[in-house]
Amino acid sequence: MSDVANDRSPDLAAVVRAAFAPSKSQKGGASTTSDLSIDEELNLHAIGWEPVELVSGYSVFSTPVGLWSWGQGEIVAATEAHAHAFANAISRIHRDAAAVGAHGVVGVAIERSVYSTYTEVTLLGTAVRPIGAGAINASGLFVSDLSARDFSRLMIAGWQPLGLATGASFVYAPRRTMGAALTQQSQNIELTNYTEAMYNAREMAMERMQQSALSMNGTGVVEVKVVEGPMTFASHAIGFAVWGTVVRLAAQSHRPMTPSMVVSLDDTRVAFDAATLE
Amino acid sequence: MSDHVNDLPEATERRLEELEHGLFTSDLSVNEFLLVKEAGFHPVGLVMGSSIYHTGIQTRKWSQSQELTKLTEAMYNARELAMNRMEEEAAELGADGVVGVRLDVNYYEWGKDAAEFIAVGTAVKAEDGVSRRNKLGKPFTSDLSGQDFWTLSQTGYAPQGLVMGTCVYHIAHRGLGQALSTTGQNVELPNFTQALYEARELAMTRMQDESTRLGASGIVGVRLEEKSHQWGSHTIEFLALGTAVTRTGDPVTLTKPTTIISLDN
Repeated sequence: MSDVANDRSPDLAAVVRAAFAPSKSQKGGASTTSDLSIDEELNLHAIGWEPVELVSGYSVFSTPVGLWSWGQGEIVAATEAHAHAFANAISRIHRDAAAVGAHGVVGVAIERSVYSTYTEVTLLGTAVRPIGAGAINASGLFVSDLSARDFSRLMIAGWQPLGLATGASFVYAPRRTMGAALTQQSQNIELTNYTEAMYNAREMAMERMQQSALSMNGTGVVEVKVVEGPMTFASHAIGFAVWGTVVRLAAQSHRPMTPSMVVSLDDTRVAFDAATLE
Repeated sequence: MSDHVNDLPEATERRLEELEHGLFTSDLSVNEFLLVKEAGFHPVGLVMGSSIYHTGIQTRKWSQSQELTKLTEAMYNARELAMNRMEEEAAELGADGVVGVRLDVNYYEWGKDAAEFIAVGTAVKAEDGVSRRNKLGKPFTSDLSGQDFWTLSQTGYAPQGLVMGTCVYHIAHRGLGQALSTTGQNVELPNFTQALYEARELAMTRMQDESTRLGASGIVGVRLEEKSHQWGSHTIEFLALGTAVTRTGDPVTLTKPTTIISLDN
């Protein structure tokens, strides 16, 4: 997936590179930028990691005009645009993170929009590294949408994030003939052709996500997010997109965390407000 | 158990085969993932079932409260289809159960009376190799989160299945005379009250019937949802949903909870 990205994506604009130049020069420098909360930062330090810099990746990929309206099967161009936009954004955030000497990016906020003529992906997260560690190759970095808190918990349990796995598929929903629609009017009946279209989109998307997880040598994908349904601008096109963080057991075995039960003494929230009846 | 008709598409089986070779996918959060591991289970895959279903038409009498059996049936059938497909996927993976099940209904522009019913959850398998399937030999299902699942296992109970009961009910309109006679008064409207009661009772009873069939000793986390979907304000679906549980017989030592004051807002 990232091979494709490298072929197609142009390098970052010189302006952006210049912006990152100072942080490169001050090796082990004091100032860092991060969008972590205080306790997340503490969590990171507790497992021997530190934030380095706020990094981002962005990509817009165009789709042909008139693509969405009529056809059968998968809307290949839309699916490809989605895959490329994700791959490009990921490879850029990799480059950004490598430039500041990070070993990974956590808490990546993923903004993904599919419009009729283009697909847009924005990634923004905090680059992190083991305290004082030197720079590594961009290909060895991980990018994860897990929060710093989840990241540290995962590391404590002996697991390590490997990267983002994504998969998407867009298909045309079949149209019912007038006759079929009329005869079905008063019946309770499953619309098998729609169900099948939905299933196909889902299977292809999930399969692609699994493929990208396997290509990273992952053994699992956690926090899988699912976005599905018809496109707002084309009701006869169904989209199905999934993404999640690929993980692998890094330690010898899973380390149990033995939770303890607590009762919080915080004030309870107002459950019912008489004035608004909510 | 899954010897009978297996109507999963071919692509699904390919995907599931990959999962059988060690890769897992899951929509559990990291916390839930770790707690499911803590409870002695390992996630095996994100499983899903969906059905796009066309709901028939049933005439309702303006001034009569009644159950709309045809619509109730549709809501049942469609959900059963989605749930069964999800269970089939889980069975295919050799899972013992499915946790964090969500049932959603989506309406799409392209079919006014068609809705997508979808069931999603994470299939899990016991790490000690002992089957935890339910009385019917199927993987258990549960809408409990990873946190609730762990807590439940600490108390010596095990989920048996996601049980539900539904009832689509038409609530009569009031006649003009009735409306006029109560204007300006504080008064209970018995016909509305009664109709809502009856509908709710029907839904709850059906849910309990399902749990009896599973030989469960109780239902936890019951939610009662009332939705009008697309039928107008006087037709309401009452949906009761919960997780049927039963005692495992393992000895339990309940730890006393620690009281804490959290420092976050």
